[in-house]
This record gives sequence, structure tokens and C-alpha cells, in this order.
Amino acid sequence: MQIQLQQLQPVYLEKEKLVGSEIWNNQQIFESGSLVEIVAASGRGKSSFIHFLYGLRNDYQGKISLEGVAPDAFNYKQTALLRSKKLSIVFQDLKLFESATCLQNILVKNALTGFSSTDAIEAMAERLGVRNKLAAMAGNCSYGERQRIAIIRALQQPFEFLLLDEPFSHLDEMNREKALDLILEETKKQNAGIVLADLETNPSFPATKRLKL
Amino acid sequence: MASYKDIAPFIDTGRNRGSRIFGYTGLGIGTLLLLSCLQFYLDINQLIKEKSLRKDGFDFISVTREITNENMGKDNRLTLANLQEIKSAPGVEDAAPLISNQFRAKVSAGNVIPFSTDIFLEAINNNFLDTLPPGFIWQEGQNNIPIILSSEFLEMYNIFAPTQGLPQISGESAASLNVQLECFTITGVEGFRAHIVGLSDRINSVLVPENFLIWANKKFGQSENAPFSRIYIKTRDANNPNLLQFLDKKDYHVNKERTRFGRIKQVLQGIIAGLGLFAILVIALAILLFAFYLQLLISRSRDNLRLIVTLGYEPGWLGKQVSKRWVPAYGIIVLIALSGAQILHSIFRTSVHSGMDRMSFPISIYTFALGLIIFCVCAVINSYLLRKELRRL
Repeated sequence: MQIQLQQLQPVYLEKEKLVGSEIWNNQQIFESGSLVEIVAASGRGKSSFIHFLYGLRNDYQGKISLEGVAPDAFNYKQTALLRSKKLSIVFQDLKLFESATCLQNILVKNALTGFSSTDAIEAMAERLGVRNKLAAMAGNCSYGERQRIAIIRALQQPFEFLLLDEPFSHLDEMNREKALDLILEETKKQNAGIVLADLETNPSFPATKRLKL
Repeated sequence: MASYKDIAPFIDTGRNRGSRIFGYTGLGIGTLLLLSCLQFYLDINQLIKEKSLRKDGFDFISVTREITNENMGKDNRLTLANLQEIKSAPGVEDAAPLISNQFRAKVSAGNVIPFSTDIFLEAINNNFLDTLPPGFIWQEGQNNIPIILSSEFLEMYNIFAPTQGLPQISGESAASLNVQLECFTITGVEGFRAHIVGLSDRINSVLVPENFLIWANKKFGQSENAPFSRIYIKTRDANNPNLLQFLDKKDYHVNKERTRFGRIKQVLQGIIAGLGLFAILVIALAILLFAFYLQLLISRSRDNLRLIVTLGYEPGWLGKQVSKRWVPAYGIIVLIALSGAQILHSIFRTSVHSGMDRMSFPISIYTFALGLIIFCVCAVINSYLLRKELRRL
């Protein structure tokens, strides 16, 4: 999948925040399999940008095209197909079901795609150090634990691009490395690309393209 | 592929059990009422239909002018305008006049039965006859006149014949009788040989071929296109309340016995229609209650449902899965209502002894079909409302 951006800018963002951005009001192409890192300070529209790509919001000017089609032009069926087969996401606010267990949170995605076995899910949880949290209510877990559950959930589907919105914000360095390793490994298996939006550059992220928002 | 149980933990359906049960009960009562109304209507129709004389699915009824104190003594015969008016009445397939002789006619039975009387002759289009023997034809120059006699006339003759010293005759032997028919004109008398070729249960008259009577009226009578005193109506249902209402309004008189059930039917139809409307109202209210319940369910689980859709589930699929939860309940309700209608039908069937064998034991296929329609309507409305709500997320 190729992502094309043309003169994109949020309708609500102040003009001075657009100045100097390599994405807003610019042309960009994210080729299939590319690892894109987008860095910006708070309030520059990182989450908005990720939501625009995922088709959750359309309050922007300019054009986004996913394989030639704007994400908000898809109908319900096409949107569902896009989100279960081509685009996966880790939200900044995680979007977990707080009153369900961590395992139920992961399985709700896996049930849709039938992508992984329970053993594979448990192995991922083991690797990220949250194996013992699978039976716990998501609402009772720390933010860092929930962040890792959200990452595992995002990996329970085929994808061509993985959208990550500050995915390691509440992880210590060791857990950040583990999570990034898992993400890169799964992305490579699928020959997919990543769009990672964060406050600062991640030295361990092998970006093919680094952009300032 | 995902199923309802994968998303069930995120949908809050637990509370408001009372309103759901109330909705189910309402739907059950409404459905039972509506199905029973239809079945009762069909049963009554069945009872009434069997009582009328039918040919190829049609009823034939005779219409005359209502004779009242006001119009007695006047010419109350029917005209061609009346015929056109009756033809346009609701439910009338066709209508034909019964024309009568415009000359004096007399029959005598010869030596076997020493009996002679003045007689009236009538004729009607062959399509209106309940029996049409092959010999009931006449061509100009033919001296032999075929007659169809009312079976009631034969019955009456057989009642009074013994008291007059006359022999009783059966329907079969009546055909072998040779009758002398004399037609009187101003200048003289012309004689014909006549014989009975059939008996009619429908028309109380002495019927001759239509073309003979037209010819004879022209030859022996004074007028060619004389008015007629009776018109026969061909209709799918002699008890059609609209038809009876029309005829009453226009002061036409119809055979009371033949259409007696139609008047009962008029009243029953009113009662059944009222009950049916009430039943539809109850069903509509029950569906409305379900709609409110669904809205409540969705608003309570709104955040979770929105997240499920964000994760890649399709609203249409989601709506289908959630609405499928109601399908067994709707199915059971309709089945219970059908069973209730069957019980009521059986009670009605055994209580009407004379009509028991005319009504089938199981309820009508139409009642089943209506049950199926109610089931489908509930399921479709349910699914539609859910999808609509989910797409608003």
C-alpha cells in the first residue's frame, strides 16, 4: 500500500503551527514497506494525523490517498476491510475495553481476523512481560501494561501499514526495546510499513524516512 | 470468523428485563389476536360459501324491483339502464336479463296427464344456466321446443298431483313427456311440440332457448324489446357486502335466503376488522417498545460499540449479530400464537356442528403465512433499527 499526502492540513490548526512542517501543506509519499518516523512537540497534530490516515476524522483540507482512495470515501464495508486487513493502529489513548480482561481485549481483534493462535498471543504477552496480566481487567492494569496489551492487539491482524501514536510513552527503556523489537519483527514478517508518531526521535527505530510535523 | 459471543462481553443487555418481557407479551397477544381474526374470518367465509349454489366458482343471484306500498301497481319492470347499472355494481362479473313471453302461452300434457294450463315462458343467456343439456337449442323452423323446468316446479307438481288424481313423475321421466305448447296471437294459435330437456335448481321458471323467445315475441307478441322483471347477476361472492349494500341502496330486491349470510357477514366483517385493527395496533406498540429497548441498549453500550467498529468490525455485521439474538424469541412468540389460533379454531369448529366437516382441522395456510409475515416484519424492523442506530455511532 502506498500513502500519498497532498497539501494536507487540519482545518482547526493555527497557521503558525503549520510553518516548518514537512507534512502539513506539503506533498509526501509513504512507499509500501517504508518505516516513517514523525516527530513533533505536543499540540502539533500528531494524533490528528494518525486519525486522518485511519479514517476516524475528516476535518482536514488537502488530500490523503490510500491506494488512490481517500480514507473517508470508503463505505462501511470497505472501512471495515481496511481496518481488519490493511491498516492496524495503536492509539495514543489505547482505546481498550476497561471492563474486559486484557485477553478479551486482544481476542476481540483476533476473533475478527483469525490471525493468531492463543499460544502465539500468550508468547507475545510473555515476551512483553504481561503474560500474568492477561486474565486481569484492563482497567486495573497500569498504563504501561495497557500500552503493551494495545500493541499486542494491534499485531493480531494482517496489515500493510501499522500506525503508532506515541506507543511507548509509558514504557521504560527495556520494555520499549522489547516492544519495538516485537513490532519490527511482525512488520517484517508481513512486508509492511510503519508510521510512528512520537514526541522525540527513537534511536532504535530504523526509520527510512524521518519527518518533522 | 467472529461470532456474537466474541463481542457479547462488550454489549450490555442485562438490565431492563421487565420491559423486554412486557414487549414479548404484547407481541404475543397482538399476534394471537390478529391470527385468530384472520382464521375466524376464513372459517365464516367457508361456512357461508358452502351454502350457496356455485358454478365454476361463481354465484348467481336474481334481482327484481323491490315492491313497496308506494310503488305497487306501477310498472316495476327493469330496463336496459338498470341492467347497465347492475353490471357496474361492485363484485358483479356479468349480468343478464330474464326475458319473458309477450304473448299468451298454454301447455297441455296430452293424454298421459290430462292437465293444461296457461304458462309463462322465460329465457336467459345460456352462460347463466346451471344446467345446459345438449338438446337445449332451437333454430327457426324447428317445431320442437326444448324446455328447462325449475326443479322446484316439478316438486310442487308432485305435491299437488295425487290430490288432483294426476300421476307423480320423476325428473328422468319428465324428459320423456311430450307437451303441447300453444302460442296465441291476435289472429290465431300456433302449436309447437315441447319437451323437458333438463331441470334447473337455480332459476324458478320455465325456460326456453333465448333465440326462440326473441323470435316468438316478435312474431306473436306486441313488443320486441319489452322490459324484463328479473336480472341475474354472476358474481364471485353472493354475500359480498359491498354488492348487497349497492343493491339495497338502489332499491333492488335480492333473494333473501341466498344472501342472508352476506348480511351476517357484513356485521361480522365489521367486528373482525375492528379486532384486527386493534391487534395491529398492539403489535405496532410492541414493536415500538422493542425499538425503545434497542435504542436504550445501544446508548448504554455506545462507547464499546463505537470501539468495536473502530477496530474493524462492520456496523452491518454487528447489527445482524445483535438482531439475531431476537430471532428465536420472535419465532417462539409466533409459534405460540399459531398454536393459540389452532386451539381457538378447533373450539369454533366443534361448536359449529353443521359446518364441522366443511372446515379443515388445521388452521388455514393464509393464517400460517400471516404468522410468517409478522415474524419477518419483526425481524426486519429490528435489524433495520439496529443498523440505523449503529451507523450513527
